[in-house]
Amino acid sequence: MFIINCPYCGKRDQVEFSCGGEAHIERPKQPTELSDDQWAEYLFMRKNIKGVQFERWNHTHGCRKWFNMVRDTSNDKIHATYKMGEKPPIK
Amino acid sequence: MLNFNSPIQNEKKYNEIKITEVEPTIKINLRSNKREFSTKIGKILSILPPTEANTSSGNENYSLLWLSPDEWLVYSKNKNQNFKDQIELEKKLFNEISKINQGAVTNVSDHWVLFNLKGNKIYDLLTKSCPFDFNEFKKKKGSVSQTIVNHINVIIHNNENNDLNLFVRRSFSEDLWLWINDSASFL
Repeated sequence: MFIINCPYCGKRDQVEFSCGGEAHIERPKQPTELSDDQWAEYLFMRKNIKGVQFERWNHTHGCRKWFNMVRDTSNDKIHATYKMGEKPPIK
Repeated sequence: MLNFNSPIQNEKKYNEIKITEVEPTIKINLRSNKREFSTKIGKILSILPPTEANTSSGNENYSLLWLSPDEWLVYSKNKNQNFKDQIELEKKLFNEISKINQGAVTNVSDHWVLFNLKGNKIYDLLTKSCPFDFNEFKKKKGSVSQTIVNHINVIIHNNENNDLNLFVRRSFSEDLWLWINDSASFL
């Protein structure tokens, strides 16, 4: 159990949220020009690293808004949460 | 609201807790991110939609709850409000907002069931199965929180000291009602 700071509602318990996977993956501008491998790379391949990772989260049982989170997957330390469309506060 | 059948129709009293189902009340969901939306709501309801998170605004007839930056829930405080007036309000909101693409107006009167909880131990009851921290919430009249109680999604509105309104989805209302009654009997 850990506390997540929703950029809209404030601090809430983890059980109210759901994780939506890696963040900042850009959709290719011309999908028709991609090979099957490139398309599969965009669609399925995710980093899932041990360390600081950028993720999308949804406040499912609260405001139902999507936001981004910088989380260390090795110790669950949350470095920052920020709204969709905003630049990550940590590089 | 035409064939409204209350799922609970009950009122229970326990040691320092009183639980009532407050129905029928009109509940309308409002969604918009347009600038003119606030002034339109202000004109129709005489209340401005709150912009601060987890707060509400209201007058003697209606309460307007913040649900997210572009979503609000308006509900009638008057249980015995005339059915015609409710339809009129919905129509007015629909014509002024939905019809001219200023946002979305949805009547959710049958979607949410409203419980009123009163008494000194209501927060002891909720914290039995709710992850939300009520310390700041109970100090501030008009606070709103969307959270889970006994794994069920709820909206909680702090009316005044030790008096709160709890909205639960109709299909979960009986389950939550039974859980509340069961838990309250052990307090």
